[in-house]
Amino acid sequence: MATMNNPKVGSKFPPYEVGIVDAEKMKTMAVLLQDPNPIHWDLDAVENLGLGDKPINQGPNNMAYVVNALVSWIGDISGFRGLKVRFIGNVFAGDRLTVVGTITGVDQVEGRDLATCDVQLMRGDTSDGDIVMSGQASVLLPE
Amino acid sequence: MLLSEEKLKSRVGYQLPGGEYLLEPYKNWLTNDVVGAPNDQDAFAHPMFCYYAALNTMGISLEELFALFDATSADGVMFGEAEIDIKKPLTPGSTYSISGQVTGVQRKNSKKLGIFDLVDFELSLHEGKELVGVSRNSFVFPRELNNGNDE
Repeated sequence: MATMNNPKVGSKFPPYEVGIVDAEKMKTMAVLLQDPNPIHWDLDAVENLGLGDKPINQGPNNMAYVVNALVSWIGDISGFRGLKVRFIGNVFAGDRLTVVGTITGVDQVEGRDLATCDVQLMRGDTSDGDIVMSGQASVLLPE
Repeated sequence: MLLSEEKLKSRVGYQLPGGEYLLEPYKNWLTNDVVGAPNDQDAFAHPMFCYYAALNTMGISLEELFALFDATSADGVMFGEAEIDIKKPLTPGSTYSISGQVTGVQRKNSKKLGIFDLVDFELSLHEGKELVGVSRNSFVFPRELNNGNDE
């Protein structure tokens, strides 16, 4: 496990428990994003599209969980620098999510350590769950 | 009729109108509440506002963007990749200028989707003349299902 004093390449940052995805939160985000897609709140729309029987989380919410994980690890929101993701599967209301990741590089940028990490958003247990989003993130480590 | 590759490639460089985005503190609070981030400080906004501000203020709706590629949301357009690249932390109460363009297109073929187009676009956030962040995104435009060919 990577600690702030020991950010070694190849070590993992602490798993971040997102918790259970809440359908009610999707409604608020639909308004904030001005996202008219009914798959985030209308069960009939989800079923008519053959996408299951639960609301589908907004993709940017899934990105935000990964941001939260990295910010929680470094303890400094201003140190977050970048995230690039590929959406692999839909996240549904009621899913239990965890963010996991591994440090892939530590470079000096502007006199500070910039850590790059491979990140995954997982559904279910981290041991045998499925990856619903993966990508790379970068954060400035505390001075 | 399928958009020709020539017309598809002609869309590269299309300038998105952009505009001004005020990062209102209440939106930051609500966003933190929705995504489970702590609301324990108000000096910095959630980093995802690099994405929210960009997409909200690109100057055309997603439906209008899809129409540039002869498609609608009913055609099953999907997000491919998304990236935020933050140069300077965003702050609640600040106003950002958004500008951007279509940066790339590719016609591909897969067993799952048949012929599809990948469209990349990039939006920049400036505070005054200072570059604050960049949001890069790609959409997948399915053009034909299950035509049996693969890359």
